[in-house]
Amino acid sequence: MTTALFYILGFTMLAATLLCITRRNPVHAVIYLVAGLFALALMFYLLGAPLVAAWQVIVYAGAIMVLFLFIIMMLGLAPQEVPEGPGWQRWGPLVLLSSSIMICTVLLILQDPLAGKQIGDFYLAPQILGEALFSRYALAVEIVSFQLLFATIGAYMLGRPLPKGEDQ
Amino acid sequence: MNESLLFLIPLLPLFCAVINMLFGMRLPRLFTEVLAVIGVAGAFGLTLLFWDYAEGNGSRAVLFTWLNSGTLNVSFALNFDRLAAPMTLMVTGVATLIHLYAIGYMREEADYARFFSLLNLFVFAMLAIVLADNLLVLFLGWEGVGFCSYGLIGFWYRKLENAKAGTKAFLVTRVGDVFLGVAMLWLFALTGTLSISAINAQAASISPGVVIVLSLLLLLGACGKSAQLPLMTWLADAMAGPTPVSALIHAATMVTAGVYLLCRFFPLVSLSAVAMTAITAIGALTAIYAASCAMAQRDIKRVLAYSTMSQVGYMFMAVGAGTVAGAMFHLLTHAFFKAVLFMAAGCIIHQAGGENDLFKMGGLFRRGPTELFWVFLAGAACLAGLPLSGGFFSKDGILLALYTHADPVFRVFWLIGIVTALLTAFYTFRLVYLVFAGEWRGSGSPHDLPWLMRWPLWPLALLSLAGGLFNLPALVGGGEALHHWYGTMAGRTLTVSPDVEWMLAGLAAVVAAMGWLAAHWRYRNYHAPLENPLSRFLLSGWQADALLDRLFVRPFNAMALFSWIGCDRTLFDGSLEGLARTSTRCGALLLRITTGRLTTYLSAFAWGFLILLGWFLLKLVEGGGQ
Amino acid sequence: MIPFGHALAFAGALFVLGLTCVLLHRQILMILIGVEIMLNGASLVFVAASAYWRQVDGQVFAILLMAVTAAEVAVALAMVVYLWRRKRTLVADEFNGMHG
Repeated sequence: MTTALFYILGFTMLAATLLCITRRNPVHAVIYLVAGLFALALMFYLLGAPLVAAWQVIVYAGAIMVLFLFIIMMLGLAPQEVPEGPGWQRWGPLVLLSSSIMICTVLLILQDPLAGKQIGDFYLAPQILGEALFSRYALAVEIVSFQLLFATIGAYMLGRPLPKGEDQ
Repeated sequence: MNESLLFLIPLLPLFCAVINMLFGMRLPRLFTEVLAVIGVAGAFGLTLLFWDYAEGNGSRAVLFTWLNSGTLNVSFALNFDRLAAPMTLMVTGVATLIHLYAIGYMREEADYARFFSLLNLFVFAMLAIVLADNLLVLFLGWEGVGFCSYGLIGFWYRKLENAKAGTKAFLVTRVGDVFLGVAMLWLFALTGTLSISAINAQAASISPGVVIVLSLLLLLGACGKSAQLPLMTWLADAMAGPTPVSALIHAATMVTAGVYLLCRFFPLVSLSAVAMTAITAIGALTAIYAASCAMAQRDIKRVLAYSTMSQVGYMFMAVGAGTVAGAMFHLLTHAFFKAVLFMAAGCIIHQAGGENDLFKMGGLFRRGPTELFWVFLAGAACLAGLPLSGGFFSKDGILLALYTHADPVFRVFWLIGIVTALLTAFYTFRLVYLVFAGEWRGSGSPHDLPWLMRWPLWPLALLSLAGGLFNLPALVGGGEALHHWYGTMAGRTLTVSPDVEWMLAGLAAVVAAMGWLAAHWRYRNYHAPLENPLSRFLLSGWQADALLDRLFVRPFNAMALFSWIGCDRTLFDGSLEGLARTSTRCGALLLRITTGRLTTYLSAFAWGFLILLGWFLLKLVEGGGQ
Repeated sequence: MIPFGHALAFAGALFVLGLTCVLLHRQILMILIGVEIMLNGASLVFVAASAYWRQVDGQVFAILLMAVTAAEVAVALAMVVYLWRRKRTLVADEFNGMHG
């Protein structure tokens, strides 16, 4: 049952992501991405990570994607226009590149000695995760929180009104 | 008292030079002048005060270790010994009088601080040569006097020919310095020390062939500074400098540095008969060459310059004949009488209204202060070697040493010395007659002579006349004081019968008298200068400048031109510019990749990623599924 | 029971889709979305590895990754606004000030 659910969720996620990246309208793309992220969150849950799954929903699908949407709507971005010229010229190399990478990745994974290994039943209580975060990884948490602080300051600096003459 | 106080002697002029150099123009003029005089007069006083240190084997004082690297250990050390002490006294004493004279001479010069600081610096450098305990300190002074003489000859550098004369002096003496440098390095390689006394002590252990070469190198070094035969062309042009400079540098002190160097290394040099003969030969040839040139010169200072060259040639002959005492004796008397001659010549030029040409002077005996005539005559008598003057005794001593030398070749040099003495007497009195006798032929009006330009002449004139007393030969009841003072350093002792000595003295007197009579006959009444090829040849110094120009300057210029156009421009610049152009083109090609577009960079990044993955895949396939 | 390789394959596919998005789109915002997708692929690897080795570390890193992503997005979106204000466009190729 779990295994089937995992595959279903996996393909759902890939489909949603594929739809996301092919949209011309950024709003649609973000909506599809949110759907993909939900599927990913459930996969996390199936892999025994309830806390990560919850934060995936709250932080990613909730906060970050809403931020994207907010920016898109604030700037009033129109759907991207189709570029001039024949399609294959633009797509051809790209498809070649992506499919090569994909093939390489899959081959690498299948050649991997770990390929036959199964992921057994696993459940990590949020309590243990929290203890690990604030004991062994306390320094990392501190560093990341500083990074968040700097990012906030950076965002504030970038968001200030432009000096006169630089605005078009 | 402490021996390291001896350092005050050279450092006092240096201190005053530095003060004048830094603050001279901000201080009152009187202060600058007094400071300059104090620098040298103080050194003179200190030399007298410390005289006792020179006795015995002399005193050695180390100020600090200058260089210490492996076996090379050079201290900043002084050696105040029997050879150095009289020289120090002479340098500081004459320099003091010249400084006083210079105050009067330069009283209208605006750039006085530069002048006086260079003069003081020069005295410092000269004292470094005289007092140096090791070759490196000596070399420091050696280069120092070269630099100061360059700065002082070209003192009025706004006139191009003065600046050129300074450059010429600098470059020509530098040629000699190269040889001295080579000798210095070689001596260090052989003996492992730069100390002069240690080198002299080890001289006997150096193989004879090397001693010859080393002595010749030292000789060439000495030739550069002392304006001897191959490297003599700079001295006559050096007269472009102010007259006190000519008196100080080109008469009393710097040109004698070469003689002093050879005397310092006498224990080494005297080991090689070949080198001694070479020294004598150089001296003899220079003496007669310069005397012949002096006969035809028209510029009063150039006459004196050639006479200096000629007299320094006598000193070389003395060293070559093996009598250090004789060389130093002549060096001292020459310093006095040549200083008085130059300083008097400065006064004469002043009196003649800035005119240097002998043939536009005349009648100065009646026109100028008569004291000028008497002091000039005193110097001239010494130069000509009139009996009982200082120059007579010193020159006679040298001729005696040449005559009594065992090697028959030295008789030839003796003969040259006698002929030179004749020429010297002739051109000296030619000078006297042309300047003082007859009617005034010039056009300028006399400048007034300040008091300071007149009285320093008197002590010098008296010293030159009485200079013989320093080393009065036993023949006339003298004590040969200088010879005894030098002790073991004096070189060969001359043992000769009184008959020969009287004969030589008489011959010298006769020769001087003949020179005088010839000049009297020729120049008592004024004659216009001769215009024939011989006089032109002599006037130009045997065309030495043109010869050197052909031999060295032109080939050098041609080579430099070839290096510039042929090598540098074509070969190096061409290849380098070609290289630069190629790399610019390569850069332009690379510039096309650098589009500045984010998408280009991203896809490049993706390609790189793909290559990385492919690499891993390849490794995995090669690994064969283990 | 899920084969570990399959979980990794999903993650790899997600990563490649994100990369495709980055390469395909010319608009900065869509490029950023592509980056987010790639980061999620990485995140999936961490969580799957954590489950496979039954260790806590993978999940810790997934969470830290999320925080770093949040910081990155904050700056990146501020920059998007900044760029928009400067040129009234978000087409990446318009910003070629680094052209040599």
